[in-house]
Amino acid sequence: MYLRYAVRRVLNALAIFVIEMFIFSVLFTATAEKTVRAQIEESLQPEAARLRNASAEQVQRFVAERRAYLYRVSHLDRPMPVRVLWRTADTVTFQFGNSITIKSSQGERNVWRIIMETVPRTVLLFTTSIALQVLLGVWLGLKQAQRAGRTLDRSASIVTMVVYGLPTWWVAMIFIMLLAYKLPIFPSGGMHVLPPPQGLSSAVDLVWHMALPVITLVLVNFWGVALLARNIVLSILQEDYISAARARGLTERTVLFGHAMRTAAPPLTTIALLSLLSSVFGNIIFEGIFSWPGMGNLYWISVEQGDTAVTLGLLAVTTAMYIAGLAFLDLIYGLLDPRIKTGASP
Amino acid sequence: MSGAHPAPDRLPARPWMRDLFASLGREPAGIAGFLMLVLFLAGAVFERRLITFPQTDSRWHDITYWDEQPANAPPAWTNAFARQKSAVSLLLSPSQSRQETSDSARLVTCVFTYNYGFDLPPRDLVVRFAGSGEIPVALTLTRPDGQEITLDQEQVSAGSGTDIRISVDKSAGQAALGFLQGYESAETMTGADVDRIRPTTVLFSQARQGMLAAPRPLKGGYQVTLLAVLTTEGAQVSNPMLLVTGRVSGLLGTDNSKRDLWSGVIAGIKWALLIGLLTAFVSVAIGVVWGITAAYFGGPVNWLMQRVFEIFSNQPVLPLLIVISAVFKPSIWFLIVIMSAFFWTGPVKTVYAMALSIREETYIEASRALGAGSARLIFRHMVPLLIPYAFASMALSVPGAVVYESTVSLLGLGDATIVTWGQILHDAFTGGAVLGGLWWWVAPPGLMIALMGMTFSFIGFAMDRILHPKLRTR
Repeated sequence: MYLRYAVRRVLNALAIFVIEMFIFSVLFTATAEKTVRAQIEESLQPEAARLRNASAEQVQRFVAERRAYLYRVSHLDRPMPVRVLWRTADTVTFQFGNSITIKSSQGERNVWRIIMETVPRTVLLFTTSIALQVLLGVWLGLKQAQRAGRTLDRSASIVTMVVYGLPTWWVAMIFIMLLAYKLPIFPSGGMHVLPPPQGLSSAVDLVWHMALPVITLVLVNFWGVALLARNIVLSILQEDYISAARARGLTERTVLFGHAMRTAAPPLTTIALLSLLSSVFGNIIFEGIFSWPGMGNLYWISVEQGDTAVTLGLLAVTTAMYIAGLAFLDLIYGLLDPRIKTGASP
Repeated sequence: MSGAHPAPDRLPARPWMRDLFASLGREPAGIAGFLMLVLFLAGAVFERRLITFPQTDSRWHDITYWDEQPANAPPAWTNAFARQKSAVSLLLSPSQSRQETSDSARLVTCVFTYNYGFDLPPRDLVVRFAGSGEIPVALTLTRPDGQEITLDQEQVSAGSGTDIRISVDKSAGQAALGFLQGYESAETMTGADVDRIRPTTVLFSQARQGMLAAPRPLKGGYQVTLLAVLTTEGAQVSNPMLLVTGRVSGLLGTDNSKRDLWSGVIAGIKWALLIGLLTAFVSVAIGVVWGITAAYFGGPVNWLMQRVFEIFSNQPVLPLLIVISAVFKPSIWFLIVIMSAFFWTGPVKTVYAMALSIREETYIEASRALGAGSARLIFRHMVPLLIPYAFASMALSVPGAVVYESTVSLLGLGDATIVTWGQILHDAFTGGAVLGGLWWWVAPPGLMIALMGMTFSFIGFAMDRILHPKLRTR
């Protein structure tokens, strides 16, 4: 039963991805082709220059033929609807072409390679902070739910409201100003000092560079997790079976962890991870403030340099990651929620 | 439907809403939120009276408009906390002005009186006037100790009514050097050179040996005299002013393009309110109607609407917003439309669940039996019940819209015809304000975004608590 559910969910995610990529192609094909045309013209010039002994007419004919060939290869000679479909196919298979100015650390111009170089760094930064946010958030949320309406609960609720509309990147700017320049405790950005150290000190250096971005993300975002945890646990604590458990004389600890948490775990895990997943994509620009060389930083660079191929490739990869993340969370939820496993309607 | 009795089908809506707003008055967070909202609205309404530069909005990106300010100056009130007081920016009109006519020429004399009572001198004194024709001018400074220094003599050539500016900082280097020579030893003077001394620092210091290395301020009344000789018929000098470019300026200081940040921050209020409220209203309205319609019709309509919903809700909004802004360079209105086109998915799931249960209510059945159509049932009977929830949902989506616009602007993709907090922060970040510790440039715009977010989260969470009383306490 679960397998069927899982297969359906994965197929659904794939369909959504293809449809979204089609919509993007409709929106952005015209822009993306400008880059491709410019790149073709650029490649024609040195080729024409190599024909030393040819007459002007021959050169012209050669260039025209070459251009027609390159247009045919990149489907630029076809009508617009067909080009949109070709672009969709290319995007879905992650063939983003070549960048204009940006290069990978190996000097490659391939957009996919450039993006893939940044993905692990983004994953490292955000998974670390998400793990800390879940730990701190669930802990605080439980404390709040246990003593709902008391001082801790009230003050934590106020802080949640205060940080609700706070842009993480602005907090990052303030922290850099205070903790990297006024009081030089943390480095102001990047992943490593230059030149990068080797061995164990490299790891220490990495942690040192990661500290301030992670602290910023956690400090701004874990309150939301706490509120979710509080509300889910609190609504479960009002169920009859909890009263029954209390009436049987079980300790508050057993009631909380043995009874309430067992029901709370599936929605809590998925909702908390879901909200954190969307917060990642809402905070991705944040990397640029710390010059953390991940995907968010690449967004900054590609937008500033007007490198459309990289920007569009990034959008496709980011969207794919988001859709995959949502599907993955649904699959976890299916595992945790017995109603899906047995085929009952969720 | 006429007469004394209200239409019965409207009844559910009004008491609900009155209840909601009445309960909001009992929630401390709700009161705080509403007070802050009133302040923001007042800031937007009385913008003209609050800002110091009336054309802030339209000419924020026009450098010439801001030319009279010092660059990167801290707020004027920082003097209160500083041991050494810095000169404040001023615009002075002439205290005396006369014109003498001799046989061949007219002589215009303008005297400006500047009372200097600070420890750190102004960065520059700029004499400006609208000039016509070829005009020989001379600028002299009379110090409180009686010394008279000729700052500059030059011939300015102007078209008709050209804006002429004579900067003491740029033109009086030689004069300042000459003044120094009268007091400093030749040995000290070898270390001084025109490019390195600040004329204003020399001119506003006590005349004594050692004034180059350790200047002491000479406080008191200074007179700057502008002498212009008008030889030809059409030559003219009008509207002379003395601009004292201070080291501190305004309520929130200036940025590196000399723009007054207080004016920018205040002018940003209305844009943030517009972006937040409009996006929230449009998107929640779409979301509520979408959820109810899907729940009401069920079947294939529901299936189709759910699939469309999935496509929209599976899209990370901010990255797409960035790419659309980078490719199409949208205006603020277009940006609001795009944001609304993705924010509507927020309330759909909750609305759908609520509408499913409302659909089964007997009064819906009764109404349908009386012959009410789908549109009437949805908009007259189901939507009103969801209005309180819609209000909470709107309030809670305002901060997101404001932050997203700021983020797009932070990348330098904002609408260049207006000024928003995100754009100010973009300029601050690229202008090195974070590295340079220019806190008055970085902190206030972000604080405004945070306060705007707080306002609506206070209101939204208070409404949420009223709607879900179970979650208040045990």
